[in-house]
Amino acid sequence: MRRFIERHPLWSLFIIVVIFVFLWLVFATWPPGFEAIFGKKKVFLNAVLNGITLGGLYFLVASGFTLIFGLMRNVNLAHGSLYLFGGYMGFKTVAWTGSWLFSFVVAFVAAALLGIILQYLVFRRMEGQDLRQTLVTIGISIVLADLMLWIFGGDFYQIQTPDWLVGPAQMPFVTAIKSSGEAVYMTYPIVRLAIFAASVVIGLAMWLVLNRSKIGMIIRAGVDDKDMLSSMGVPIQLVFLLVFAFGAGLAGMAGVVGGTFQSISPGEDTRFLLASLVVVIVGGMGSIPGAALGALLIGLAEQLGSVYAPTYAVVLTFLIMVVVLAIRPQGLLAR
Amino acid sequence: MDSIAQRLSAAGTNNALELRGVTKMFGALAALTDITLSVKPGERRAVLGSNGAGKTTLFNCITGDFLPSSGTIRLFGEDVTEFPPQERIRRGLRRTYQISALFPGLTVRDNVYLACRGVSRGRFSFIRPRFNDPLVQAAENLIEAVHLTGVIDRLVAELSYGQQRQLEIALALAGAPRFILFDEPAAGLSPTERAELVEILTSLPTHFGFIIIEHDMDVALRVVESVTMMHNGRIFKEGTPQEIESDPEVQELYLGGGHG
Amino acid sequence: MTGIDQTSLSRSTSLKLFGYHPVVIIVAVLLLFMPLIANDFILYQIFSWSFMLGIVALSLMFLAGYGGMVSLAQMTIAGFAGYMVAIFGVNGIASVSIGWPWWLAVPMALFLATLLGTITGALAVRTEGIYTIMITLAIAAAFFYFTNQNYAIFNGHTGINRVATPHFLGVEWRSTVPFYYLTLGFAVLCYWVTSWISRAPFGLALQGVRDNPRRMAALGFNVNAHRIAAYVYASFMASIGGILLVWGNGQISPGSVSVDVAIDNLIIAVVGGISRPIGAFIGALIYVVLRTFALDVLVAFGLDGNRFRLLIGIGFLAIVFFSPDGVIGLWNRWRNRHASVSTVRQGGAHG
Repeated sequence: MRRFIERHPLWSLFIIVVIFVFLWLVFATWPPGFEAIFGKKKVFLNAVLNGITLGGLYFLVASGFTLIFGLMRNVNLAHGSLYLFGGYMGFKTVAWTGSWLFSFVVAFVAAALLGIILQYLVFRRMEGQDLRQTLVTIGISIVLADLMLWIFGGDFYQIQTPDWLVGPAQMPFVTAIKSSGEAVYMTYPIVRLAIFAASVVIGLAMWLVLNRSKIGMIIRAGVDDKDMLSSMGVPIQLVFLLVFAFGAGLAGMAGVVGGTFQSISPGEDTRFLLASLVVVIVGGMGSIPGAALGALLIGLAEQLGSVYAPTYAVVLTFLIMVVVLAIRPQGLLAR
Repeated sequence: MDSIAQRLSAAGTNNALELRGVTKMFGALAALTDITLSVKPGERRAVLGSNGAGKTTLFNCITGDFLPSSGTIRLFGEDVTEFPPQERIRRGLRRTYQISALFPGLTVRDNVYLACRGVSRGRFSFIRPRFNDPLVQAAENLIEAVHLTGVIDRLVAELSYGQQRQLEIALALAGAPRFILFDEPAAGLSPTERAELVEILTSLPTHFGFIIIEHDMDVALRVVESVTMMHNGRIFKEGTPQEIESDPEVQELYLGGGHG
Repeated sequence: MTGIDQTSLSRSTSLKLFGYHPVVIIVAVLLLFMPLIANDFILYQIFSWSFMLGIVALSLMFLAGYGGMVSLAQMTIAGFAGYMVAIFGVNGIASVSIGWPWWLAVPMALFLATLLGTITGALAVRTEGIYTIMITLAIAAAFFYFTNQNYAIFNGHTGINRVATPHFLGVEWRSTVPFYYLTLGFAVLCYWVTSWISRAPFGLALQGVRDNPRRMAALGFNVNAHRIAAYVYASFMASIGGILLVWGNGQISPGSVSVDVAIDNLIIAVVGGISRPIGAFIGALIYVVLRTFALDVLVAFGLDGNRFRLLIGIGFLAIVFFSPDGVIGLWNRWRNRHASVSTVRQGGAHG
């Protein structure tokens, strides 16, 4: 951190100013003239919260993608299909058992099993041929997409939010002051907050495991030098299998989240694949903190963009990617 | 020629290659520390040292594959420290690689033709060369010089290891080289092939100099007039081959320690 | 071989007519007189479509096969050129039609689309290898979503219809037979120029960059400049394909530039064989034939006719698994085995 400030004083200043402006926008009571130009504070806060929670969802999908790439150099373009698969599995589980929490388990396990099959039967056989692996993932994503279309049809499925998470929560942000002088507090759906909290917990846990545990040490060493690991007698194929399963499982779990937030339908696989791509390009391939930062930026850009510049929301996301590629092609937090 | 002479005198040096205080850090690890080195035009020098002494990193800094963390690099008096590799090559620098860096999907002829084309105009040309094109002729002459005429239309992927090493040298001789860096040209060669290599190296025109990294003292010391010893990323000793061979510290470092 | 092609001489010395293999002559004559044999459906739905998709796939083949850069944005460049020629020219949507004559709109579209391709390339070459696929896929998807949302220029989800096609020299070029020759002409031109470039210094250097970029820099080449130049040429070619496609269809919409279409372009190039220019057209022909007749074939096998994409996906997987060099690779292997079998037989006869 200190080295970054020493090396790039102007960038640091810019980032600090942006953060302060942002904090002021969130916490201050907006002066009347400002609201006239910028719209209601409630709209802004809603967009910000939507952006952050959407970022949480993107992180769940993208962190698995980036983990798999980081260790195995496998650009898994079927990652979106794993997301969609998890979503359908979650929906069916909720429909049969009625348990929302259990559907996460099922989606995770189902997607992880699919991931294990892919890694064991396919990718293990073409290690080091990254283009061929990627072509295979494209083929698999086409096959999976059509199989799921065949089985589940073209309908939209929405996963029922459990009763105990329905309803709004009061947030500590003042959106306006009533004429009586009483402050109006912002309200926001509990379920989105809960899911965001869960993704933060998962992110922190992943970071801790990677940086503090033995298996994390092995994975990080494998990212740097695979040959060294196998020469040390680590069962590298098993590590690959576990990481692929975990990354796939995360995508499957994210499918349940996506199905609860929004809905799942054919085409969502591509959408979330694209989101993962942009998130990891922006954040830095193979970096978990990078995926978190990228997901937050892209989530915010998408939601703020759709409120303030509806036709150009996609362009905004895309511009972020272009700017990052232009000034730091390896991604913001890549080593 | 005038302008080159002027540039040389303006820079206050007659050296083909001059490094001043070159340091290369990889993260916190120093691969090269404060390398100061000058090679006169036409001088032939060997760089010796154990594995990890920083010899290849030194070459990578000179050719521009890496930018040094600090220090300056001058080529024929011109400061090239910030230049990309191709700009240095176009000024007469050449190199070979320890692990052959060829184009396996192309023929021997096309490999050498590319090397000739790289230092001439028309790199983006859409016009196919005719068989009497001077560059095609130059490529064929070079192929002959490294004894590869018999396999001229074979894909490089089909060549033997020794033939690939010879092609590696042909690529470095293309155009009008003024200074060449040879990175372990004899590695993996049979005794006969080594003799052939020594012959190729000693028969090079005398107007251009080179630096050679070589573990085989028989090869290295026969083709050079000066030697630089490196150790742990620093220059450890400089002298003539005789001085280095008889230096007790070098003997200790190179011939002693465990290998005995 | 530099310039003079000695490899083909050594391969088969017999049966040469004007220096061409008899198969080439037969195919050329067949294609030239196809309108006499085939009906309008075959001419347009099969052949014109194969030529147009083949041109776009050829632009990908050029980048991937010679440059080692697998760009999924080539269909996007083609689609952008199509949109531009529709918008600058005459179309059925008054709010987005500028109404230039075709001979002004076409150069403009070619220029803008090539520019877009060049920018895409300049971004993509900042990273290497597999990143290219990711970045170009992201660009392709972003353009698709943008055309979907933007009504001011691209008329949103509905797209642009009734795009006027050129009418000159007394020929209505959209009618089946002239359009057949138009697409055939451009396909042959693109194929010939690409083959030519592959043996010219520019193409050779590009193959050098593919094999070993670091060594190319150490031979005096500016590697990134070469890569970007390859994008310029490939994007120009994709733009030609895109303009023909919009003329053929008479309309263009976000569906023409969707991620699926971008990936189908990759499938065409890979299935045909990424190492030689002819692969793009072979792949396109296979794809178009499958797409046209898949319904009947699937139903004939008692399957659901909607499973076309499943068929494509499985076929693609099979090719990637068993013949990384596509159909060309299968053909070459079959020929080599055939050749070795016949030499064995000859040897046996002598003994």
